[in-house]
Amino acid sequence: MTDITDIIRFRSGNAPLALRWPTQRFLVRVGLHVLVAVLALMVLLPFLWLVQMSLRPEDEIFSDAVLFTPTLENYRALWQGNFAGSFLNSLAVSSLSTGLSLLLGVPAAYVLTRWRFKGRARVALWILTTRMAPPIAFTIPFFLAYRVLGLQDTVWGLALIYMTFNLSIVIWFMQTFFAAIPESLEEAAWIDGCGVWRAFWLVTLPLAAPGLAATAVFCFIFSWSDFFYALILTRTNAMTAPVAIVNFLQYEGWEWGKIAASGTLVMLPVLIFTLLVRKYFVHGLTAGGLKD
Amino acid sequence: MPGTLSWEASRRRAYLTGLVPALVVLAVITVVPTLFLAGASLTPLSLVDPASLFDFSNPLRNYAELLHDPRFLGSLVMQLQLSALTVTLQLAVGLGLALLLNVRSSFFEAIRTVFLIPMVLPPIVVALIWKIIYTPDVSPLHRFLDFVGLPADSFITSASTALLAVAVADTWQWFPFTMLMILATLQMIPNEPLEAAKIDGANHWQTFRYIIFAYIRPALIVSGLFRLIDSFKAFPLIYVLTDGGPGSATEVTNYYAFVQAFNFSYWGYASAIAIVLLTGVFTLSWAAGRLGWNGDEGE
Repeated sequence: MTDITDIIRFRSGNAPLALRWPTQRFLVRVGLHVLVAVLALMVLLPFLWLVQMSLRPEDEIFSDAVLFTPTLENYRALWQGNFAGSFLNSLAVSSLSTGLSLLLGVPAAYVLTRWRFKGRARVALWILTTRMAPPIAFTIPFFLAYRVLGLQDTVWGLALIYMTFNLSIVIWFMQTFFAAIPESLEEAAWIDGCGVWRAFWLVTLPLAAPGLAATAVFCFIFSWSDFFYALILTRTNAMTAPVAIVNFLQYEGWEWGKIAASGTLVMLPVLIFTLLVRKYFVHGLTAGGLKD
Repeated sequence: MPGTLSWEASRRRAYLTGLVPALVVLAVITVVPTLFLAGASLTPLSLVDPASLFDFSNPLRNYAELLHDPRFLGSLVMQLQLSALTVTLQLAVGLGLALLLNVRSSFFEAIRTVFLIPMVLPPIVVALIWKIIYTPDVSPLHRFLDFVGLPADSFITSASTALLAVAVADTWQWFPFTMLMILATLQMIPNEPLEAAKIDGANHWQTFRYIIFAYIRPALIVSGLFRLIDSFKAFPLIYVLTDGGPGSATEVTNYYAFVQAFNFSYWGYASAIAIVLLTGVFTLSWAAGRLGWNGDEGE
Protein backbone atom coordinates (compact mmCIF):
# COMPACT_ATOMS: atom_id res chain seq x y z
CA MET A 1 0.00 0.00 0.00
CA THR A 2 1.36 3.37 -0.93
CA ASP A 3 1.96 5.58 2.02
CA ILE A 4 0.25 8.92 1.78
CA THR A 5 3.45 10.68 2.86
CA ASP A 6 5.18 9.09 -0.08
CA ILE A 7 2.72 10.70 -2.38
CA ILE A 8 3.05 14.03 -0.65
CA ARG A 9 6.83 13.82 -0.74
CA PHE A 10 6.66 12.79 -4.35
CA ARG A 11 4.52 15.74 -5.25
CA SER A 12 6.19 18.38 -3.17
CA GLY A 13 9.61 17.07 -4.10
CA ASN A 14 8.98 17.04 -7.78
CA ALA A 15 6.61 19.85 -8.39
CA PRO A 16 9.25 22.59 -8.14
CA LEU A 17 11.59 20.54 -10.29
CA ALA A 18 8.97 19.97 -12.92
CA LEU A 19 8.34 23.68 -12.91
CA ARG A 20 11.94 24.78 -12.79
CA TRP A 21 13.42 22.54 -15.44
CA PRO A 22 11.18 23.28 -18.40
CA THR A 23 11.45 27.06 -17.86
CA GLN A 24 15.21 26.93 -17.67
CA ARG A 25 15.46 24.68 -20.70
CA PHE A 26 12.97 26.86 -22.51
CA LEU A 27 15.06 29.96 -21.81
CA VAL A 28 18.23 28.21 -22.97
CA ARG A 29 16.45 27.21 -26.14
CA VAL A 30 15.19 30.72 -26.82
CA GLY A 31 18.64 32.13 -26.06
CA LEU A 32 20.21 29.66 -28.47
CA HIS A 33 17.79 30.61 -31.23
CA VAL A 34 18.44 34.31 -30.73
CA LEU A 35 22.20 33.80 -30.65
CA VAL A 36 22.18 31.77 -33.84
CA ALA A 37 19.90 34.24 -35.61
CA VAL A 38 22.18 37.13 -34.65
CA LEU A 39 25.25 35.23 -35.83
CA ALA A 40 23.56 34.42 -39.12
CA LEU A 41 22.72 38.06 -39.61
CA MET A 42 26.31 39.07 -38.87
CA VAL A 43 27.64 36.55 -41.36
CA LEU A 44 25.17 37.71 -43.98
CA LEU A 45 25.67 41.43 -43.43
CA PRO A 46 28.58 41.86 -45.91
CA PHE A 47 26.55 40.04 -48.54
CA LEU A 48 23.35 42.01 -47.88
CA TRP A 49 25.33 45.24 -47.94
CA LEU A 50 26.40 44.55 -51.52
CA VAL A 51 22.82 43.88 -52.60
CA GLN A 52 21.42 47.04 -50.98
CA MET A 53 24.22 49.12 -52.54
CA SER A 54 23.23 47.88 -55.97
CA LEU A 55 19.68 49.17 -55.38
CA ARG A 56 20.63 52.63 -54.11
CA PRO A 57 20.23 55.66 -56.35
CA GLU A 58 23.55 57.13 -57.43
CA ASP A 59 23.38 60.17 -55.16
CA GLU A 60 22.66 58.10 -52.07
CA ILE A 61 25.57 55.65 -52.24
CA PHE A 62 27.54 57.51 -49.58
CA SER A 63 24.57 58.53 -47.48
CA ASP A 64 24.00 57.13 -44.03
CA ALA A 65 20.25 56.86 -44.44
CA VAL A 66 19.01 53.35 -43.79
CA LEU A 67 15.88 53.91 -45.83
CA PHE A 68 15.99 54.82 -49.48
CA THR A 69 13.84 54.32 -52.55
CA PRO A 70 15.25 51.27 -54.30
CA THR A 71 15.94 51.72 -57.99
CA LEU A 72 17.04 49.44 -60.80
CA GLU A 73 18.92 52.35 -62.40
CA ASN A 74 22.32 50.71 -61.76
CA TYR A 75 21.23 47.51 -63.45
CA ARG A 76 19.84 49.42 -66.42
CA ALA A 77 23.10 51.36 -66.83
CA LEU A 78 25.02 48.12 -66.59
CA TRP A 79 22.96 46.41 -69.22
CA GLN A 80 23.38 49.26 -71.67
CA GLY A 81 27.18 49.14 -71.32
CA ASN A 82 29.54 46.30 -72.19
CA PHE A 83 28.54 44.18 -69.24
CA ALA A 84 25.77 42.37 -71.10
CA GLY A 85 28.33 41.04 -73.57
CA SER A 86 30.59 39.65 -70.86
CA PHE A 87 27.58 38.12 -69.14
CA LEU A 88 26.68 36.31 -72.35
CA ASN A 89 30.31 35.21 -72.73
CA SER A 90 30.16 33.71 -69.25
CA LEU A 91 26.98 31.85 -70.19
CA ALA A 92 28.49 30.56 -73.42
CA VAL A 93 31.80 29.43 -71.91
CA SER A 94 30.17 27.75 -68.91
CA SER A 95 27.56 25.93 -71.02
CA LEU A 96 30.10 24.84 -73.62
CA SER A 97 32.55 23.53 -71.04
CA THR A 98 29.79 21.76 -69.08
CA GLY A 99 28.43 20.14 -72.26
CA LEU A 100 31.82 18.92 -73.46
CA SER A 101 32.77 17.61 -70.03
CA LEU A 102 29.52 15.66 -69.72
CA LEU A 103 29.89 14.26 -73.23
CA LEU A 104 33.34 12.87 -72.50
CA GLY A 105 33.12 12.31 -68.77
CA VAL A 106 29.79 10.52 -68.35
CA PRO A 107 30.69 7.44 -70.47
CA ALA A 108 34.13 7.34 -68.84
CA ALA A 109 32.57 7.42 -65.37
CA TYR A 110 30.23 4.60 -66.34
CA VAL A 111 33.10 2.45 -67.58
CA LEU A 112 35.14 3.13 -64.43
CA THR A 113 32.17 2.03 -62.31
CA ARG A 114 31.37 -1.18 -64.19
CA TRP A 115 34.63 -2.43 -65.61
CA ARG A 116 36.99 -3.79 -62.97
CA PHE A 117 40.17 -3.74 -65.04
CA LYS A 118 43.68 -3.81 -63.69
CA GLY A 119 45.01 -0.36 -62.87
CA ARG A 120 41.50 1.01 -62.50
CA ALA A 121 42.19 2.47 -59.07
CA ARG A 122 45.32 4.15 -60.38
CA VAL A 123 43.47 5.75 -63.29
CA ALA A 124 40.71 6.96 -60.96
CA LEU A 125 43.24 8.46 -58.56
CA TRP A 126 45.10 10.22 -61.39
CA ILE A 127 41.83 11.82 -62.50
CA LEU A 128 41.23 13.08 -58.98
CA THR A 129 44.75 14.46 -58.58
CA THR A 130 44.32 16.70 -61.62
CA ARG A 131 41.79 18.63 -59.56
CA MET A 132 44.27 19.42 -56.81
CA ALA A 133 46.84 21.13 -59.05
CA PRO A 134 47.16 24.89 -58.55
CA PRO A 135 45.71 26.75 -61.58
CA ILE A 136 48.95 28.67 -62.13
CA ALA A 137 50.59 25.38 -63.16
CA PHE A 138 48.17 24.98 -66.08
CA THR A 139 47.91 28.67 -66.91
CA ILE A 140 51.50 29.23 -68.01
CA PRO A 141 51.58 26.37 -70.58
CA PHE A 142 48.05 27.14 -71.83
CA PHE A 143 48.84 30.84 -72.17
CA LEU A 144 51.94 30.09 -74.26
CA ALA A 145 50.22 27.40 -76.34
CA TYR A 146 47.20 29.62 -77.04
CA ARG A 147 49.47 32.38 -78.34
CA VAL A 148 50.65 29.94 -80.98
CA LEU A 149 47.30 28.25 -81.63
CA GLY A 150 45.29 31.49 -81.83
CA LEU A 151 43.00 30.38 -79.01
CA GLN A 152 43.72 33.38 -76.79
CA ASP A 153 40.68 35.45 -75.98
CA THR A 154 38.26 32.89 -77.46
CA VAL A 155 35.25 31.18 -75.89
CA TRP A 156 36.52 27.78 -77.06
CA GLY A 157 39.93 28.27 -75.53
CA LEU A 158 38.48 29.16 -72.15
CA ALA A 159 35.94 26.30 -72.29
CA LEU A 160 38.82 23.90 -72.97
CA ILE A 161 40.90 24.97 -69.96
CA TYR A 162 37.78 24.72 -67.75
CA MET A 163 37.71 21.04 -68.65
CA THR A 164 40.89 20.60 -66.57
CA PHE A 165 38.61 20.72 -63.52
CA ASN A 166 35.20 19.89 -65.02
CA LEU A 167 36.19 16.52 -66.47
CA SER A 168 37.39 15.20 -63.14
CA ILE A 169 34.27 16.56 -61.43
CA VAL A 170 32.03 14.72 -63.89
CA ILE A 171 33.97 11.47 -63.69
CA TRP A 172 34.02 11.49 -59.88
CA PHE A 173 30.41 12.50 -59.29
CA MET A 174 28.90 10.22 -61.88
CA GLN A 175 30.78 7.18 -60.56
CA THR A 176 28.88 7.33 -57.28
CA PHE A 177 25.55 7.75 -59.06
CA PHE A 178 26.21 4.86 -61.44
CA ALA A 179 27.38 2.64 -58.60
CA ALA A 180 23.97 3.08 -56.95
CA ILE A 181 22.17 1.57 -59.95
CA PRO A 182 21.92 -2.25 -59.85
CA GLU A 183 23.90 -3.99 -62.58
CA SER A 184 21.19 -6.61 -62.97
CA LEU A 185 19.01 -4.10 -64.83
CA GLU A 186 21.67 -3.68 -67.51
CA GLU A 187 22.29 -7.41 -67.66
CA ALA A 188 18.61 -7.93 -68.37
CA ALA A 189 18.86 -5.46 -71.24
CA TRP A 190 21.95 -7.26 -72.57
CA ILE A 191 20.07 -10.56 -72.57
CA ASP A 192 17.31 -8.86 -74.55
CA GLY A 193 19.94 -8.09 -77.18
CA CYS A 194 21.04 -4.57 -76.26
CA GLY A 195 24.68 -3.61 -76.72
CA VAL A 196 26.58 -2.05 -73.82
CA TRP A 197 25.96 1.55 -74.88
CA ARG A 198 22.36 0.98 -75.94
CA ALA A 199 21.62 -0.51 -72.53
CA PHE A 200 23.44 2.42 -70.94
CA TRP A 201 21.37 4.91 -72.93
CA LEU A 202 18.02 3.21 -72.39
CA VAL A 203 18.35 1.85 -68.86
CA THR A 204 21.21 3.35 -66.83
CA LEU A 205 21.27 6.97 -67.91
CA PRO A 206 17.55 7.68 -67.29
CA LEU A 207 17.95 6.24 -63.79
CA ALA A 208 20.97 8.46 -63.16
CA ALA A 209 19.20 11.58 -64.45
CA PRO A 210 19.00 13.43 -61.10
CA GLY A 211 22.69 12.82 -60.52
CA LEU A 212 23.45 13.95 -64.05
CA ALA A 213 21.53 17.18 -63.49
CA ALA A 214 23.34 17.86 -60.20
CA THR A 215 26.69 17.20 -61.85
CA ALA A 216 25.88 19.55 -64.72
CA VAL A 217 24.95 22.27 -62.23
CA PHE A 218 28.21 21.84 -60.35
CA CYS A 219 30.24 22.08 -63.58
CA PHE A 220 28.33 25.18 -64.56
CA ILE A 221 28.85 26.85 -61.18
CA PHE A 222 32.58 26.12 -61.13
CA SER A 223 33.03 27.47 -64.67
CA TRP A 224 30.85 30.48 -64.01
CA SER A 225 32.78 31.37 -60.85
CA ASP A 226 36.25 31.13 -62.36
CA PHE A 227 38.23 34.34 -62.33
CA PHE A 228 41.90 33.38 -62.64
CA TYR A 229 41.86 31.58 -65.99
CA ALA A 230 39.53 34.15 -67.53
CA LEU A 231 41.72 37.02 -66.32
CA ILE A 232 44.77 35.60 -68.05
CA LEU A 233 43.32 34.00 -71.17
CA THR A 234 40.83 36.67 -72.25
CA ARG A 235 41.08 40.35 -73.16
CA THR A 236 37.98 41.75 -74.87
CA ASN A 237 36.23 39.24 -77.16
CA ALA A 238 35.72 36.45 -74.66
CA MET A 239 35.90 38.48 -71.45
CA THR A 240 33.67 36.91 -68.80
CA ALA A 241 31.54 38.69 -66.21
CA PRO A 242 33.96 38.20 -63.24
CA VAL A 243 36.73 39.89 -65.24
CA ALA A 244 34.35 42.68 -66.22
CA ILE A 245 33.72 43.37 -62.50
CA VAL A 246 37.42 43.83 -61.92
CA ASN A 247 37.67 46.16 -64.91
CA PHE A 248 34.94 48.26 -63.36
CA LEU A 249 36.97 48.43 -60.17
CA GLN A 250 40.24 49.26 -61.88
CA TYR A 251 39.49 51.43 -64.88
CA GLU A 252 36.09 53.01 -64.61
CA GLY A 253 36.46 54.97 -61.42
CA TRP A 254 34.43 54.32 -58.32
CA GLU A 255 30.92 53.85 -59.60
CA TRP A 256 29.95 51.80 -56.59
CA GLY A 257 26.32 51.38 -57.56
CA LYS A 258 27.19 49.81 -60.90
CA ILE A 259 29.97 47.74 -59.38
CA ALA A 260 27.62 46.36 -56.72
CA ALA A 261 24.97 45.63 -59.35
CA SER A 262 27.47 43.67 -61.46
CA GLY A 263 28.50 41.64 -58.43
CA THR A 264 24.88 40.90 -57.59
CA LEU A 265 24.19 39.78 -61.15
CA VAL A 266 27.17 37.43 -61.17
CA MET A 267 26.21 35.73 -57.92
CA LEU A 268 22.50 35.43 -58.70
CA PRO A 269 22.64 32.39 -61.00
CA VAL A 270 25.01 30.66 -58.59
CA LEU A 271 22.70 31.17 -55.61
CA ILE A 272 19.71 29.86 -57.56
CA PHE A 273 21.56 26.82 -58.85
CA THR A 274 22.98 26.04 -55.44
CA LEU A 275 19.50 25.87 -53.97
CA LEU A 276 18.69 23.28 -56.62
CA VAL A 277 21.59 20.99 -55.72
CA ARG A 278 21.72 21.59 -51.96
CA LYS A 279 21.23 17.88 -51.34
CA TYR A 280 24.49 16.95 -53.06
CA PHE A 281 26.49 19.66 -51.42
CA VAL A 282 28.79 17.86 -49.00
CA HIS A 283 29.44 15.28 -51.63
CA GLY A 284 30.29 17.90 -54.21
CA LEU A 285 32.81 19.65 -52.05
CA THR A 286 34.86 16.67 -51.13
CA ALA A 287 34.61 14.75 -54.41
CA GLY A 288 35.24 11.38 -52.87
CA GLY A 289 33.97 11.93 -49.39
CA LEU A 290 35.14 10.81 -46.00
CA LYS A 291 35.89 7.29 -45.07
CA ASP A 292 33.06 5.73 -43.12
CA MET B 1 31.39 -21.21 -75.57
CA PRO B 2 32.39 -18.98 -78.52
CA GLY B 3 29.25 -16.84 -78.11
CA THR B 4 30.10 -15.75 -74.55
CA LEU B 5 33.69 -15.09 -75.52
CA SER B 6 32.77 -12.75 -78.35
CA TRP B 7 30.28 -10.98 -76.08
CA GLU B 8 33.06 -10.46 -73.56
CA ALA B 9 35.33 -9.15 -76.29
CA SER B 10 32.72 -6.77 -77.68
CA ARG B 11 31.90 -5.58 -74.20
CA ARG B 12 35.55 -4.78 -73.58
CA ARG B 13 35.73 -2.93 -76.88
CA ALA B 14 32.62 -0.94 -75.96
CA TYR B 15 34.11 -0.07 -72.59
CA LEU B 16 37.32 1.11 -74.22
CA THR B 17 35.39 3.36 -76.63
CA GLY B 18 33.74 5.00 -73.64
CA LEU B 19 36.85 5.43 -71.53
CA VAL B 20 39.68 6.22 -73.92
CA PRO B 21 38.48 9.59 -75.35
CA ALA B 22 38.09 11.09 -71.88
CA LEU B 23 41.48 9.82 -70.78
CA VAL B 24 43.18 11.11 -73.93
CA VAL B 25 41.64 14.57 -73.58
CA LEU B 26 42.45 14.69 -69.88
CA ALA B 27 46.05 13.67 -70.60
CA VAL B 28 46.37 16.35 -73.30
CA ILE B 29 45.04 19.12 -71.08
CA THR B 30 46.71 18.14 -67.80
CA VAL B 31 49.71 15.84 -68.24
CA VAL B 32 51.14 17.53 -71.34
CA PRO B 33 50.96 21.04 -69.79
CA THR B 34 52.57 19.77 -66.59
CA LEU B 35 55.43 18.21 -68.54
CA PHE B 36 55.78 21.42 -70.52
CA LEU B 37 55.84 23.38 -67.28
CA ALA B 38 58.56 21.14 -65.88
CA GLY B 39 60.54 21.57 -69.11
CA ALA B 40 60.06 25.33 -69.22
CA SER B 41 61.20 25.63 -65.60
CA LEU B 42 64.65 24.47 -66.80
CA THR B 43 64.97 27.25 -69.40
CA PRO B 44 65.32 31.06 -69.26
CA LEU B 45 62.13 31.44 -71.37
CA SER B 46 60.71 34.98 -71.44
CA LEU B 47 58.85 37.39 -73.69
CA VAL B 48 62.05 39.07 -74.90
CA ASP B 49 63.73 35.75 -75.60
CA PRO B 50 61.08 33.27 -76.87
CA ALA B 51 63.70 31.18 -78.67
CA SER B 52 65.19 30.11 -75.34
CA LEU B 53 62.40 27.53 -74.95
CA PHE B 54 64.98 24.91 -75.96
CA ASP B 55 67.90 26.37 -74.07
CA PHE B 56 68.69 23.69 -71.52
CA SER B 57 72.35 24.77 -71.17
CA ASN B 58 72.01 25.54 -67.46
CA PRO B 59 68.87 23.65 -66.44
CA LEU B 60 68.91 24.41 -62.74
CA ARG B 61 69.52 28.13 -63.03
CA ASN B 62 65.96 29.11 -62.13
CA TYR B 63 65.92 26.93 -59.05
CA ALA B 64 69.32 28.20 -57.95
CA GLU B 65 68.08 31.75 -58.40
CA LEU B 66 64.96 31.03 -56.36
CA LEU B 67 67.11 30.16 -53.37
CA HIS B 68 68.66 33.63 -53.49
CA ASP B 69 65.56 35.60 -54.41
CA PRO B 70 64.46 37.50 -51.28
CA ARG B 71 61.07 38.21 -52.83
CA PHE B 72 60.44 34.50 -53.40
CA LEU B 73 61.65 33.53 -49.93
CA GLY B 74 59.51 36.30 -48.48
CA SER B 75 56.52 34.99 -50.43
CA LEU B 76 57.01 31.55 -48.84
CA VAL B 77 56.97 33.10 -45.35
CA MET B 78 53.88 35.12 -46.29
CA GLN B 79 52.23 31.99 -47.66
CA LEU B 80 52.90 30.05 -44.47
CA GLN B 81 51.54 32.90 -42.34
CA LEU B 82 48.42 33.27 -44.44
CA SER B 83 47.81 29.51 -44.57
CA ALA B 84 48.31 29.04 -40.84
CA LEU B 85 46.08 32.01 -40.05
CA THR B 86 43.21 31.09 -42.38
CA VAL B 87 43.18 27.38 -41.61
CA THR B 88 43.21 28.00 -37.84
CA LEU B 89 40.47 30.63 -38.01
CA GLN B 90 38.32 28.50 -40.30
CA LEU B 91 38.64 25.40 -38.15
CA ALA B 92 37.82 27.35 -34.99
CA VAL B 93 34.82 29.20 -36.42
CA GLY B 94 33.57 26.17 -38.35
CA LEU B 95 33.81 23.88 -35.34
CA GLY B 96 32.14 26.38 -33.02
CA LEU B 97 29.21 26.94 -35.35
CA ALA B 98 28.82 23.26 -36.12
CA LEU B 99 28.51 22.46 -32.40
CA LEU B 100 26.05 25.31 -32.00
CA LEU B 101 23.93 24.30 -34.97
CA ASN B 102 23.83 20.59 -34.25
CA VAL B 103 20.19 20.72 -33.19
CA ARG B 104 17.43 18.87 -34.97
CA SER B 105 14.79 21.48 -35.68
CA SER B 106 13.45 23.11 -38.81
CA PHE B 107 14.72 26.52 -37.65
CA PHE B 108 18.28 25.25 -37.38
CA GLU B 109 18.04 23.35 -40.67
CA ALA B 110 17.02 26.58 -42.40
CA ILE B 111 19.69 28.67 -40.74
CA ARG B 112 22.37 26.16 -41.73
CA THR B 113 21.60 26.95 -45.37
CA VAL B 114 22.03 30.65 -44.62
CA PHE B 115 25.51 30.00 -43.23
CA LEU B 116 26.51 28.25 -46.46
CA ILE B 117 25.99 31.33 -48.64
CA PRO B 118 29.55 32.76 -48.39
CA MET B 119 31.06 29.52 -49.62
CA VAL B 120 28.98 29.25 -52.79
CA LEU B 121 29.49 32.86 -53.90
CA PRO B 122 31.88 33.26 -56.82
CA PRO B 123 35.31 34.17 -55.36
CA ILE B 124 35.38 37.41 -57.30
CA VAL B 125 32.11 38.49 -55.67
CA VAL B 126 33.56 37.67 -52.26
CA ALA B 127 36.56 39.80 -53.14
CA LEU B 128 34.26 42.62 -54.23
CA ILE B 129 32.21 42.39 -51.03
CA TRP B 130 35.35 42.73 -48.92
CA LYS B 131 36.74 45.48 -51.12
CA ILE B 132 33.61 47.40 -50.18
CA ILE B 133 34.04 46.55 -46.49
CA TYR B 134 37.65 47.73 -46.51
CA THR B 135 36.90 50.95 -48.42
CA PRO B 136 35.99 53.52 -45.71
CA ASP B 137 33.73 55.61 -48.02
CA VAL B 138 31.17 52.87 -48.52
CA SER B 139 31.98 50.42 -45.76
CA PRO B 140 29.49 49.30 -43.11
CA LEU B 141 32.43 48.32 -40.90
CA HIS B 142 34.01 51.78 -40.99
CA ARG B 143 30.63 53.40 -40.40
CA PHE B 144 30.25 51.26 -37.31
CA LEU B 145 33.78 52.09 -36.12
CA ASP B 146 33.10 55.81 -36.62
CA PHE B 147 29.83 55.42 -34.76
CA VAL B 148 31.44 53.86 -31.68
CA GLY B 149 34.22 56.45 -31.77
CA LEU B 150 37.04 54.24 -33.06
CA PRO B 151 37.68 55.55 -36.56
CA ALA B 152 40.33 53.54 -38.39
CA ASP B 153 42.18 53.70 -41.68
CA SER B 154 41.47 51.05 -44.25
CA PHE B 155 42.88 47.74 -43.07
CA ILE B 156 44.20 46.80 -46.51
CA THR B 157 46.37 49.87 -46.99
CA SER B 158 48.54 49.26 -43.94
CA ALA B 159 51.28 46.63 -44.16
CA SER B 160 50.72 45.53 -40.58
CA THR B 161 47.02 44.65 -41.00
CA ALA B 162 46.73 43.74 -44.70
CA LEU B 163 47.49 40.05 -44.28
CA LEU B 164 45.04 39.73 -41.39
CA ALA B 165 42.40 41.59 -43.42
CA VAL B 166 42.82 39.11 -46.27
CA ALA B 167 42.70 36.21 -43.82
CA VAL B 168 39.44 37.48 -42.29
CA ALA B 169 37.84 37.71 -45.74
CA ASP B 170 39.06 34.23 -46.62
CA THR B 171 37.71 32.87 -43.34
CA TRP B 172 34.33 34.44 -44.00
CA GLN B 173 34.23 32.67 -47.33
CA TRP B 174 35.42 29.25 -46.22
CA PHE B 175 34.38 28.58 -42.60
CA PRO B 176 31.15 26.97 -43.94
CA PHE B 177 33.25 24.20 -45.45
CA THR B 178 34.58 23.06 -42.08
CA MET B 179 31.19 23.66 -40.52
CA LEU B 180 29.49 21.45 -43.07
CA MET B 181 31.99 18.63 -42.79
CA ILE B 182 31.80 18.61 -38.99
CA LEU B 183 28.00 18.86 -38.93
CA ALA B 184 27.80 15.86 -41.23
CA THR B 185 30.06 13.92 -38.87
CA LEU B 186 28.23 15.04 -35.72
CA GLN B 187 25.00 13.67 -37.13
CA MET B 188 26.57 10.25 -37.51
CA ILE B 189 27.59 9.92 -33.84
CA PRO B 190 25.50 7.14 -32.30
CA ASN B 191 23.52 7.87 -29.15
CA GLU B 192 24.80 4.98 -27.00
CA PRO B 193 28.23 6.35 -26.01
CA LEU B 194 26.70 9.76 -25.23
CA GLU B 195 24.08 8.19 -22.99
CA ALA B 196 26.63 5.95 -21.34
CA ALA B 197 28.76 9.01 -20.58
CA LYS B 198 25.78 10.79 -19.07
CA ILE B 199 25.02 7.79 -16.85
CA ASP B 200 28.67 7.68 -15.78
CA GLY B 201 28.33 11.31 -14.71
CA ALA B 202 30.52 12.94 -17.35
CA ASN B 203 30.13 16.72 -17.59
CA HIS B 204 29.68 18.63 -20.85
CA TRP B 205 33.38 19.24 -21.35
CA GLN B 206 34.31 15.61 -20.68
CA THR B 207 31.63 14.39 -23.07
CA PHE B 208 32.96 16.72 -25.73
CA ARG B 209 36.62 15.99 -25.12
CA TYR B 210 36.45 12.18 -24.90
CA ILE B 211 33.49 11.23 -27.09
CA ILE B 212 32.41 13.90 -29.55
CA PHE B 213 35.95 15.05 -30.30
CA ALA B 214 37.08 11.50 -30.98
CA TYR B 215 34.37 11.21 -33.62
CA ILE B 216 35.00 14.54 -35.35
CA ARG B 217 38.80 14.50 -35.24
CA PRO B 218 39.18 12.86 -38.68
CA ALA B 219 36.75 15.38 -40.20
CA LEU B 220 38.71 18.23 -38.61
CA ILE B 221 42.00 16.93 -39.97
CA VAL B 222 40.61 16.37 -43.44
CA SER B 223 38.93 19.79 -43.63
CA GLY B 224 42.14 21.35 -42.37
CA LEU B 225 44.15 19.64 -45.09
CA PHE B 226 41.63 20.54 -47.78
CA ARG B 227 41.69 24.17 -46.77
CA LEU B 228 45.47 24.12 -46.47
CA ILE B 229 45.78 22.81 -50.03
CA ASP B 230 43.35 25.43 -51.26
CA SER B 231 45.10 28.21 -49.37
CA PHE B 232 48.06 27.79 -51.73
CA LYS B 233 45.81 28.81 -54.59
CA ALA B 234 44.43 32.00 -53.02
CA PHE B 235 44.18 34.54 -55.79
CA PRO B 236 41.07 36.69 -56.34
CA LEU B 237 41.04 38.09 -52.81
CA ILE B 238 44.65 39.20 -53.01
CA TYR B 239 44.32 40.47 -56.58
CA VAL B 240 41.33 42.65 -55.78
CA LEU B 241 42.05 43.69 -52.19
CA THR B 242 45.77 44.38 -52.07
CA ASP B 243 47.42 43.40 -55.35
CA GLY B 244 50.14 41.77 -53.26
CA GLY B 245 50.83 44.95 -51.31
CA PRO B 246 51.27 47.24 -49.57
CA GLY B 247 54.88 46.72 -50.62
CA SER B 248 54.90 42.95 -50.70
CA ALA B 249 52.98 42.46 -47.44
CA THR B 250 50.47 40.03 -48.99
CA GLU B 251 52.50 38.66 -51.88
CA VAL B 252 52.12 34.92 -51.38
CA THR B 253 53.94 32.38 -53.55
CA ASN B 254 51.08 31.78 -55.96
CA TYR B 255 50.75 35.52 -56.46
CA TYR B 256 54.47 35.93 -56.99
CA ALA B 257 54.37 33.27 -59.71
CA PHE B 258 51.50 35.16 -61.35
CA VAL B 259 53.44 38.44 -61.22
CA GLN B 260 56.58 36.85 -62.69
CA ALA B 261 54.63 35.13 -65.47
CA PHE B 262 52.07 37.72 -66.50
CA ASN B 263 53.42 41.10 -65.37
CA PHE B 264 57.10 40.52 -66.14
CA SER B 265 56.72 37.66 -68.68
CA TYR B 266 59.57 35.65 -67.11
CA TRP B 267 57.88 32.38 -68.03
CA GLY B 268 60.78 30.07 -67.29
CA TYR B 269 61.30 31.52 -63.84
CA ALA B 270 57.54 31.54 -63.10
CA SER B 271 57.37 27.88 -64.18
CA ALA B 272 59.99 27.02 -61.58
CA ILE B 273 57.87 28.71 -58.88
CA ALA B 274 54.79 26.86 -60.14
CA ILE B 275 56.68 23.56 -59.93
CA VAL B 276 57.56 24.33 -56.30
CA LEU B 277 53.89 25.01 -55.58
CA LEU B 278 52.78 21.90 -57.43
CA THR B 279 55.17 19.79 -55.38
CA GLY B 280 53.84 21.27 -52.16
CA VAL B 281 50.22 20.70 -53.14
CA PHE B 282 50.80 17.11 -54.22
CA THR B 283 52.70 16.29 -51.06
CA LEU B 284 49.79 17.59 -49.01
CA SER B 285 47.22 15.76 -51.16
CA TRP B 286 49.18 12.59 -50.65
CA ALA B 287 49.15 13.20 -46.90
CA ALA B 288 45.40 13.84 -47.08
CA GLY B 289 44.98 10.49 -48.82
CA ARG B 290 46.97 8.73 -46.10
CA LEU B 291 44.96 10.38 -43.36
CA GLY B 292 41.61 9.02 -44.35
CA TRP B 293 40.35 10.82 -47.39
CA ASN B 294 39.52 7.96 -49.68
CA GLY B 295 40.59 8.74 -53.20
CA ASP B 296 39.58 5.28 -54.28
CA GLU B 297 41.39 2.80 -52.08
CA GLY B 298 38.44 2.75 -49.68
CA GLU B 299 36.50 0.19 -51.70
